[in-house]
Amino acid sequence: MIDKWLELAKGPIFQFAFLFMVLGLARHLVLAMIGTFQAIRRANDRKIPIKTVMKATAGWLVPVKKMRHNALFGVTSIIMHVGMIIVPVFLFSHVALWKASIGIGWPGLGLGLSDALTLLTVAALFALLAMRVISRDGRALSRFEDYALLILLAVPFVSGYLALHPAMNPFGYKGSLLVHVLSGDLILFLMPLTKLSHVVLMPGTQLFAEVAWHFPANSGRNVAIALHKEEEQV
Amino acid sequence: MAVKYSFYVEPFEETGRPRRFLEAMAAILKHSNYGFLLDIYSKIRTRCTRCRVDCQIFQASDDPRDIPCARSELIMKIYRRYFTPAGRMSARFFNGFRLTDAFIDDMAERLYNCTACRRCKVTCPMGIDHGLVTHMSRWILAEIDIIPKALVVATREQIDGDTKNTSAIPIAALKDTCEFLEEELMEIYNVPVKFPIDVEGADYVFFPAVSDYLLEPDTLMGNAAVFHATGDSWTIGGKYYDGINYGLFYSDRMWDRIVNMEVDEVKRLKGKNILIGECGHASRSAKVGVPNFYTGEAPPPVINIMEYTYRVIKEGRLELKGQVIEERVTYHDPCNIARSGWIVDQPREILRAICKDYVDMYPRGKDNYCCGGGGGSVSIDEIRKYRTLTTGETKARQIRETGAKYVVAPCANCKKQLKEVCEDHGLDEVEIVGLHDLLLKAIVFPETADRGGRDQEGKDAFGGNGDGEIEGASLPAPAEKTLLEE
Repeated sequence: MIDKWLELAKGPIFQFAFLFMVLGLARHLVLAMIGTFQAIRRANDRKIPIKTVMKATAGWLVPVKKMRHNALFGVTSIIMHVGMIIVPVFLFSHVALWKASIGIGWPGLGLGLSDALTLLTVAALFALLAMRVISRDGRALSRFEDYALLILLAVPFVSGYLALHPAMNPFGYKGSLLVHVLSGDLILFLMPLTKLSHVVLMPGTQLFAEVAWHFPANSGRNVAIALHKEEEQV
Repeated sequence: MAVKYSFYVEPFEETGRPRRFLEAMAAILKHSNYGFLLDIYSKIRTRCTRCRVDCQIFQASDDPRDIPCARSELIMKIYRRYFTPAGRMSARFFNGFRLTDAFIDDMAERLYNCTACRRCKVTCPMGIDHGLVTHMSRWILAEIDIIPKALVVATREQIDGDTKNTSAIPIAALKDTCEFLEEELMEIYNVPVKFPIDVEGADYVFFPAVSDYLLEPDTLMGNAAVFHATGDSWTIGGKYYDGINYGLFYSDRMWDRIVNMEVDEVKRLKGKNILIGECGHASRSAKVGVPNFYTGEAPPPVINIMEYTYRVIKEGRLELKGQVIEERVTYHDPCNIARSGWIVDQPREILRAICKDYVDMYPRGKDNYCCGGGGGSVSIDEIRKYRTLTTGETKARQIRETGAKYVVAPCANCKKQLKEVCEDHGLDEVEIVGLHDLLLKAIVFPETADRGGRDQEGKDAFGGNGDGEIEGASLPAPAEKTLLEE
């Protein structure tokens, strides 16, 4: 029974979730690019200070220097992000899966290193959750999605770790693996639907904001016409 | 009119506001460039709480509703509900959020709590420009007539009034003031400085914040003195002479019209450049607004008077007596010229050249704190307590920490705000001045050039060789540490 479920989770469900993620994120990216090009085309002043934008973007993609600003949050968040990117892509058993499916492989992480990264990532996720729950301001800003995603993101890390360490696993290999694969599928599926879509949109935000400060020359007049206010006094 | 907000508004149509709000929002999203950005922002907002550390308003008020991300959530909530298919659908299934009068009122209050200093933009990991979101949201509110009365009354006089300026100064009174300032300069410095009005073909057409003619004579005398010393041609427009542009604070429609009035005056006088006086929002609204809203041939370049003064000093055309200011001096960065890194080091260079004891505030430059009167709030007298004790609290602390006698605040809004902050915080010994107020005391006028300044080897006032090198990179200024570029 569980074997069938595992096959399903690793096969069709995964394929669907992965495709959904790729198409969904591509849609976000394409819409954002169309929006940007349209905005530049409509703007009267089309000079975008690309250098400044690139510098700011680079600063946020490798936010090492930003940590100082709010050290506890910064360090925790960076550990979480690094683990989130490196472990799924470079874990040796994942590399083997990639090689089996698409025929391309790359060097995988050793067990010791990936174990450490996994535990650190899980710890960081729970620390971020704690920061949200403990702080009044965190609670004030958070919605259900913000708590739920942090917990959901920890599930494949914990279950994957257990699957690789039978000695400390109370649930059995196949059970853990099924939870691992299904939660992973769910995360892929949710990526375009939730704030996780920042994985593709975030690198562009410095540019997007800069572009939005360039206006169509007649934006004001057109709004006035649309609202029947052309003749109105101030 | 019922008292709804902490600021006064003119009587407005009270029926059907949610519907009209949404109509205005739809029109603005359609015709402006804000739409695609709002869509992206509503997708990626992570609510990470990082910005709470940077918002001086939240730090002082300790009200979670003042966290920048929480403020931006207001308009995004409306956007998701009414402008996305998912939002419309979920509202049908789950009887979701509905825009009400109460929500609009709460929004108005909170949007005008913000000083639009854009400090949070620089520190948002998602790069969300909360300042832009506030700017756009206020425009929507303005279209259903929720605008602080102080702003709309001034703008009405500027656009539709007889005097064509926010302080309602008639041209005759302006000429009197200028003559008086000329006499003052003659009396104190014995130099025949002129305030040229309506001179055709001048290189620079001067638009200070018009309130300077009433409140900041020293700044204007300093501005005129610089031109007298360099001999460059400049003029004040006789038909239109106001740099103030409250459109930046509440409506792109007004921003557009006011910017075009400036350009029209420059074209009428066949001038070459728009020269903005010591004023942050006037500078930014012209710098960003002219190339965007002026559709005619060759939009005139916009420069700030401090840029001009800095350049002529670097070129060796303005000689200074050296460090004639004995008292301790510090510099306040107006958000609108400093946040983008446009004018940060130039005034500091000038101040170091003329002050014996110059100290910086911390943080400064691109990371500066707002005076607390940004976003037009300084003009709203009825919220003075909020401005000085809540939003201005951080600045009061910064000023106190420097122990300075003079705080140089090259911005009409910052000056008014900081004077009130100092009054309300018991900083009685502090004097708020403009950059040119102090510079005036250090200018070597051509007639008395032998008294110092440029020495035998032709050094400029900064110790350079006066070859006109004006690149900021070549200056020995301390490296600008910013959150944006760290």
